[in-house]
Order: sequence, then C-alpha cells, then structure tokens
Amino acid sequence: MKELRAAALLVALSLVPAAEAKEPLPTAPRLALGGEASLSYAPEDTGYFNDAAYGHNLTRLLRLDLLGSFRLAPGLEALFDLRSENLDSPQVYALYLRYRPFAPHELDLQAGRIPPVFGTFPRRRYAQENPLVSWPLVWQYLTTLRPDALPASADALLLVRGSGWRAPYPGYGAAAGVPTASAARWDTGVEARYANGPLELAVALTRGTLSDPRFEDSNDGKQLSARVGWQPLAGLGLGASIAEGEFLDAALPLPRGRYDQRAYGLDAELALGRVVFRAEAVYAEWDEPATGQPPIDRPLSARGYYLEGRWRFAPGWHVAARLDRLGFGDIRGSEGLEPWEAPVRRLEAGFGFVPRRHVLVKAVYQRNRRDYGFVQSQDLVAAQAVLWF
Amino acid sequence: MVLRRLLACGLLGLAPSGEALAATLRGRVEVRLEPRAPLVRPAPQALATATARETPDRRRSVVYLERAPQGAFEEPERGRAVLDQRGEAFLPYVLSIGVGTTVEFTNSDSTFHNVFSLSKPRRFDLGRYARGQSKSVRFDRPGVVRVFCDIHSHMSAFILVFAHRFFAATDEAGGYRIEGLPPGAYSVAVWTDGQVRETRPVRIGEDAETVTADFVVE
Repeated sequence: MKELRAAALLVALSLVPAAEAKEPLPTAPRLALGGEASLSYAPEDTGYFNDAAYGHNLTRLLRLDLLGSFRLAPGLEALFDLRSENLDSPQVYALYLRYRPFAPHELDLQAGRIPPVFGTFPRRRYAQENPLVSWPLVWQYLTTLRPDALPASADALLLVRGSGWRAPYPGYGAAAGVPTASAARWDTGVEARYANGPLELAVALTRGTLSDPRFEDSNDGKQLSARVGWQPLAGLGLGASIAEGEFLDAALPLPRGRYDQRAYGLDAELALGRVVFRAEAVYAEWDEPATGQPPIDRPLSARGYYLEGRWRFAPGWHVAARLDRLGFGDIRGSEGLEPWEAPVRRLEAGFGFVPRRHVLVKAVYQRNRRDYGFVQSQDLVAAQAVLWF
Repeated sequence: MVLRRLLACGLLGLAPSGEALAATLRGRVEVRLEPRAPLVRPAPQALATATARETPDRRRSVVYLERAPQGAFEEPERGRAVLDQRGEAFLPYVLSIGVGTTVEFTNSDSTFHNVFSLSKPRRFDLGRYARGQSKSVRFDRPGVVRVFCDIHSHMSAFILVFAHRFFAATDEAGGYRIEGLPPGAYSVAVWTDGQVRETRPVRIGEDAETVTADFVVE
C-alpha cells in the first residue's frame, strides 16, 4: 500500500512541470510576536524634567513591550502592545482591529485603542527608533494642567508653575498634570487612513484628547483629529495635523459650555543618506472656565517645537541631537500678564552603538532649563540599553 | 561558523594541482527543511496594513569546496553581482561571490531602504536611498556577511565571499554545477539557510569529465 502511494505520487509529480511541483514558499504566520525591552539610567532628575505619564521618569525606567498581530481573515488583523514600566502590572497600550476593505486600495479602518494620527512622534516613540533617550518636550513634559481639577484662579495657576509632575490644586489635592500632547498613552476610538501616491490622510474620532488620551471617557465630548501627509520627494515627508476634543472631566463643577483642547501641528522629515532630520511644531490651547478672582481670562496655550538630527557616521554607530522648546501663553494675574506655565528648553545630544543586531546602547547629555519653579536647571547624563526581537 | 572559520582563517588549503583534465562537479541539493517565512515584527504603531511582501527562497543552497586546488587563488574574481531589494525582501536570499566582487544593492521598492552589515569581513552602512537608486560595496575579504535593512527589520540576506572560484549556488530546482575541477580528492560542503549542513569527500578521477554528488538537507 505504501509503495502504491509513493508510485502514485511519483506519477502525479511527473505530470506537472518541475517548477509547479516545488513546495510553495511559506506565507507570513498568522500570529506574529515582537518585543522591546529598554533600560534607562541617569542620576536623579530632581527637576522632574523627564517625568511622563504614570509618574515614571524616562531617564530612570525599565520598559517592556510585548507586541503582537493576529491575522483573523484576509485584510483583517488584531494588533496589541502590552507594556510594563518598572515592572508594574502590564497596561494595554494598544489593542485594536485593523481592516483593509478594498485591497489593494490603501484604505485602512481601525477601531479600539489605536495609534494617534496627530503628528509623528508617538508612532516612533519606541526606544529602538528614538535616537536619544528622552522624548520631545511637547510629547512628554508634564504641565500643571489637569483634566480632573480646576485652578481656583489665575494666580493659583501661576503659583504652581513648574510643578507638573505633582500639580497641587486647592480642593483637589496633588496629582500629575498632562503633557501638551501625550506619547505615553493612546486614545480609544475609530480611525481611517487613506493613501494615494505621495498623499496620505488619516482621521480619528476618539474618547480623550491629545493631552489626555483615554480608555474610558470622562465626558460626553469626542475628539476629532486628522493629519494630512505629503511626500513631494523621496526622502522628504511633510505633514499637518489638527485635533479638537472636550478636555475637562464632566464631574467637575463647570459652568455651562464646552471646554475643549484644540491643537494644530506641523511635521517634517528629511532623509539624506546616513542623515535624518525631523522637526515637529505643535500649538495647543485649552478652554478653562473662569473661577475665582482674578479669572483665567483667555484659553491657556502652549507651543512646542523641536528639531532632531541623526547621523549614522559608521556601521552600527550614530550621533544625534535634539533642540527642544516648550513655551506657554500669557494670562492676566494680579501682577499683570505672565505665562501660565514655566517655559522649558532642552538640548539633548548623544551617541548610539549597535554591538550586535537587535541590541542598541545609547548615551546622552541633557541640558534642561525652566523659567520658574524650585529647580530651574538640570544637566544630566543618561544611558539606555535596548533589546528587541 | 565552520565556513566562516574556514574562509577567514585561510584553511582553504592547497589540494592537488590542476594541470590535468578539468572535470565538472554537479548534482542536486534537496532541502527538506520546514519552509519558513521571514519573521515580521508586528507594528501596532503603523496606521496601515503592511504592504505585500516577497518571500525569499531560503532553500537556495551554496555548494563549495572546503579545500581548493592549487592555483585556484591566483585569479581573484573582479566581477559584479546584484542583490535587489524588492517587496521588502532581499532577493536572492543568499548570494555567493568571489573575493573582489562588487555587489550592487538595488532598490526596486517604492519605499526607502538602508542596507547595512555588522559582519566582520565587511562592515558597511549604505544610508537611506530611494527606488531606482543603487549603491555598491566591494567585498575584499572572504567570509560570511549578513546583510540587513535598518528600516525593515525583517529583511535579511547572506553573502558568502569565497577566496577561490569553486562554489555554486543552487538553482530553483536545487541543481548546482562547479566547473574546472582538476583531478584530486576534495571535501565538498553544502550551506543552507545560515548553516553548513553537510560536508562530504569527493574524488575526481584522472579521466573523469563529470562527477555527480547529490545532497539531502534535513
């Protein structure tokens, strides 16, 4: 019987051309897993310049990411990113479905805890893609603004400038404020992305806002965000983004009205052989209700921008630098017009080395300056080791 | 590893001289390894479905002499070869060349690629370049060079650089052919998907024109 089967197979194979008889090449597996582990260390950041969400400091952090994708059907896949910081219990950083209904047309629909469409940095914040250790100020630096608390007056807000890692609001206690835009969390909702040649358009409707992405909504307002990308030349990418959504927690004693965060962004990337330049500018403003005297008489605004460059000067080696500024608009306090938060400036420069594939070691020098607060300057040296698979 | 040591440390010694009739060593390498696709790292940060990718044929093998005949090193190859980047894959997956060969790394994709290698025989980083562009690297030291793309981490390929000319890559059907072999006793090795899978002694007789050696890689 065995010989008969072998003979039959031989006859069958001899009837088809040799090329067709070959075993087909394998396709990508249904389930794909990846991971990244990064460990950063620096002397204590006493000015909390590098604090990000969850009370963790980017220069003293162990971060573990487990990434996965599961192909459910042609064009339909589920993706996730589970993350643990400093061995805390894992958080769901991303969990969503992605569907391409009209392949090969590049229209993708995504629903769940989705990657942000605004700007570019949050989608490349993984340590292996970041040539430095910390993040741009506009995406990381914690302001004193809180969605769950209202400042008693303009003076009360001015009083706490430079303490965003633990902003004390009378009557609400102390808690971390929000960054201008958050790269540390992703929002929850739906989004569509369409690309045609050099043009790309992405639109998302989500529960939170740019500075406070949420899994569970804290108010009834939704955020609409969009980005248009254009690649006029090979190596040159340009983008413009916009976002608006209700910011303040509905549980607050708010006068009638909407209290939104609005943001506008521009981004650019230029790649010239071994050199890559990236720049991003974000202008954001938040509506805050008038409370005590003197009231906050205008929307609170922030403008952040950075220019980053990376040069791979030898195989496995790079040098990089980022020039970073985050400024804030004025409000009228008892002593006249003053910025509602402490402007911050940062220069971060360093090098990276790849001792072997999937391992990256970085060392940077960081210079931070802030116009107000207890600690107004902080220089530090930080190192980071990154492994990924 | 064995191949790297052999190639890099000059263990490719001198076998019998080759003034007599030259023969052809040919045969077939049947690869029975479980076929596997390149491991693609999930990208939840991407806004789009990944583009359709080419699947390089990892079953292609390289057959070569571990010890080459005397005189085999006197005519170094100065040829050119092409390693294309297409469908986010290096094609072919394995390239076998002689020392002195210049490899053109062409980019046939619409996206940027950044070819680099951290292998000791030839470290290089070509930077980013776009579709239709090509950059070249000359390989002057024998050994195994692993090639990657810095932008697409699932892309990888092997370049085997030989100090002699007695090597051949298998074709689609697994066939190979090494010509110009003088009579003598040789050790023939088969390399498949990153490893030397088998070495076998082969004798070329004084009046032999063709010698066949088939291999099975499991």
